[in-house]
Amino acid sequence: MLEISNLVLVAQTQGASTRVVDDLSLSLKRGQTTVLVGESGSGKSLTALAVVRLLPPAIRVATGSVRLEGRDLLHLSEREMNSVRGARIGFVFQEPQAALNPVMRIGHQIGEALTRHRGLRGRLLRERVLELLAAVGIPEPQRRFKDYPHQFSGGMKQRVMIAIALAAEPDFLIADEPTTALDVSTQAQILDLLQATQRARGMGMLFITHDLAVAHRMADSLVVMKEGSVVEHGSRDALFSAPVHAYTRHLFAVSPRLTPSALLTPSPVTGEPLLAVRDLNVHFPQRGARWWSRTRSFAAVTDANLEVHAGETVAVVGESGSGKTTLGRTLLRLQPAQSGRVAFLGRDLFALPPESLRRARRELQVVFQDPFASMNPRMTVQQIVEEGLVAQGLLREPGARAAHVGNLLEKVGLDPAWSSRFPHEFSGGQRQRISIARALAVAPRLIVCDEPTSALDVSVQAQILTLLKALQQEQGLAYLFITHNLGVVAQLAHRVLVMHQGRIVESGAAREVLFAPQQDYTRMLLAAVPSLP
Amino acid sequence: MPGLIPAFASVATEPMGLQLLPTDLLFLGALALAAVYGHSAAREPLARARWSRVLHSPGGGIACLVLSVYLAVAVLDSVRVERAEQAPLTVLDLVLTPLRTGMETTYSAPFATHAHARENLEHAPGLWVRDYPRLKFGGRHLALPEETARDLVRRIALGTALGFGVFVVLTLVINQLRGRSLRGAITQWWEPAWRWHWSALGVLCLGITIVGCLADGWHVLGTDKVGQDVLYLSLKSVRTGLVLAVLASLITLPIALVLGVLAGYRGGWVDDVIQYLYTTLSSIPGVLLIAAAALSLDLFLSREAGALHSLALRADLRLLALCAVLGLTGWTSLCRLLRAETMKLSTIEFVASARALGSPSAALLRRHLLPNLMPLVIITTVLDFSSLVLAEAVLTYIDIGVDPSTESWGNLINGARLELAREPVIWWSLASALGGMFGLVLAANVFADTVRDAFDPRLGPDAKGVQGRA
Repeated sequence: MLEISNLVLVAQTQGASTRVVDDLSLSLKRGQTTVLVGESGSGKSLTALAVVRLLPPAIRVATGSVRLEGRDLLHLSEREMNSVRGARIGFVFQEPQAALNPVMRIGHQIGEALTRHRGLRGRLLRERVLELLAAVGIPEPQRRFKDYPHQFSGGMKQRVMIAIALAAEPDFLIADEPTTALDVSTQAQILDLLQATQRARGMGMLFITHDLAVAHRMADSLVVMKEGSVVEHGSRDALFSAPVHAYTRHLFAVSPRLTPSALLTPSPVTGEPLLAVRDLNVHFPQRGARWWSRTRSFAAVTDANLEVHAGETVAVVGESGSGKTTLGRTLLRLQPAQSGRVAFLGRDLFALPPESLRRARRELQVVFQDPFASMNPRMTVQQIVEEGLVAQGLLREPGARAAHVGNLLEKVGLDPAWSSRFPHEFSGGQRQRISIARALAVAPRLIVCDEPTSALDVSVQAQILTLLKALQQEQGLAYLFITHNLGVVAQLAHRVLVMHQGRIVESGAAREVLFAPQQDYTRMLLAAVPSLP
Repeated sequence: MPGLIPAFASVATEPMGLQLLPTDLLFLGALALAAVYGHSAAREPLARARWSRVLHSPGGGIACLVLSVYLAVAVLDSVRVERAEQAPLTVLDLVLTPLRTGMETTYSAPFATHAHARENLEHAPGLWVRDYPRLKFGGRHLALPEETARDLVRRIALGTALGFGVFVVLTLVINQLRGRSLRGAITQWWEPAWRWHWSALGVLCLGITIVGCLADGWHVLGTDKVGQDVLYLSLKSVRTGLVLAVLASLITLPIALVLGVLAGYRGGWVDDVIQYLYTTLSSIPGVLLIAAAALSLDLFLSREAGALHSLALRADLRLLALCAVLGLTGWTSLCRLLRAETMKLSTIEFVASARALGSPSAALLRRHLLPNLMPLVIITTVLDFSSLVLAEAVLTYIDIGVDPSTESWGNLINGARLELAREPVIWWSLASALGGMFGLVLAANVFADTVRDAFDPRLGPDAKGVQGRA
């Protein structure tokens, strides 16, 4: 039994102290999985770190206790705590890349925990490590034993992390967003592995996630957190069938669902397409070690064909490395193509001379994923939003530009008075609104949206999606919506393209691709998506 | 090339009573540039926030104070006033007239009343004695050498009183400038955020006035082989070190910036050529290049000797050439960093957005790349500054640095090679060169550290964004 009672965590910043976790109590039984759900800043990760006493220096435990079989972990010496971490409580982090030592062989990293907690050495140690590698589903453990972390894919690295966490056979496992950095098909495998291991070993698991569908997939009981406090807790079935607290209900409402009811009615496709892509090939040259050596190339997009009509949303879905982002960047001519034709409003984008291309860019805009990297930190909102106007030589009079920027900010749901602020003064969702305003400023016909909501919390994501849909209806905008999130696709897209290893493997109306897929890959992808009841 | 020398010579003979040498002009020009930057930074909120972090932190504030004292000395020493029939003197020379003219015949220890070596003295007509002679300047005002201790105490007391006076006046003036009433100034000046700064200012005021009072009648740091006051030489050395570091940085910057940004932004064969250039250059030992340049310069100057109308100009050209050589060999590391940073920035999403909006390359560079490269440029330049000051000393020590007639820490140390071998040992030249250099380099390093902390995007005011990404 792992019991957290009345835990209060305090963050100290420049004299002021704020409660980041407020009066949290929960108990974790062996053989059970408790899921902590919450949006970013809800304090769920800090709670997990407090249990193993690995809090960042600026945050400390104010009051409360963490009892493992009756012993208060918060009062142990650092030495005693070391024999608890790993041996009694295992920990799996979000980023396997950052959690593994890049210069140490995988076998040794797993062996380290065994030597420390179980005193194993030599042949016994090696055998045990091989057993663990096999148990977490790494093929050919004999061969992979001596490999380094960079030789493993993201999912395989997470399996190694789980092997390390399991090495000393802990009674409890804490998994902090273990699948957030992974593709949906890999996520399904890791979730299966964690659940099977937890059941087989009778461990208690504290699973932290922001994704309600994942929570539903894993939980015996749930704890919903908001801004450091528990708003609701209970068994999975009770909580999912009848959520009581308003915030829980809100979370349920905004979580994207892969159901036919959410689908948009397909827009009538008429006339010339806005954008027509024919046989597009994009290769990345991979430079040799020296400038004179022959360059090889890697095919990121192969023989892509697609059309986008005015006023419709075409979603491009695929896992990481499928070439969907490259496709988007190539259409924007931010990335050169090997061959193919891109016709936009009847003009061949690849054949345009530089000056005409600059003019043509006005009608083809982009919104990127990362709300923090997509704005120059040294420019004000006014300067950011008017950048396209200045570049295109529109509205040369400053007063008119300021008025236009004010209108745009209002349209995307921001206060026009904020135009003199800097990007760092805004939250992720607000920044994404500024990005949308920047794209709208030059009155485009088509906006390429490259994962515009994947860095945002679900409630903010829902707001941004609503905004995009409203703008589409109002202005007849077309979107090429690039995403890995199939739930979002169901709410927004008229048509869907599925990409796999650089090729478009399936395309068609959203209803057909999502609910009657023809290709095995699409079926596999859809099956891997965890669903809400 | 021969046309160059008359050009400099004409610059050197300007009217208006001022006679500025090439390095004077360039140094003052560099400071004017810095002032222009400061003015524009004060208006940009992000830069303003960063610099105010530097000044608010105790280390950065104190380092700034110390550096500005050094800078003031160097500026005073860079303004040359014309005199009839005589070599021009700098303002610092005029301020330090007692020290400059109070020459002895040879070595004397700090606060000595007698010379360091025996001489044949004529006590009475025909009576020659071999003894230590009284100094012509040090302690001349005392009737008896035994009064030394009392005189020193009296002068220190006077200096302390004077220092306190200056400090109080400064405090009132600064508080007045910050918009406080006299009453507010008295009650609020000792606020916790500024205690370290006030203390440092107080110590500096006291130090300067005490040394000033002592130097009025004594050789505070002794005299050198030809009887020149070492304190005077040390103060003159400040300009050499600072001019060298500032001008070398000034030459480094544009080269590194243009080549680094070009390599990172254009890529392809341009990148290959620039990389080849800096890899080759950085694999040749710097000392070798500098030695070769110094030798060819010597040859050149001796051939052109007729065109140079003064020794001062010749020494100055040599200093300028050293700056140029250090600058031309020192741009590689900054260039490498800028190339990498430019590559990273040009794939970042706000640059891609700007491109998608149709911004031309010039606008991309001016609005997006250069402003975001500035922190890196500032951090690297400030960090390299102290190593340039030290490089002057090392290069002069092995005789490929500044002209032997230029007062510099390197020349003081070079002279100490023989002085340390004497018995009794002559330690004061070396000690004052080391002290002067240590103060400057320590202040520059502390300053560089606080600048890096303030400008590092992981710690700065925009840190929220970076943390939010994790």
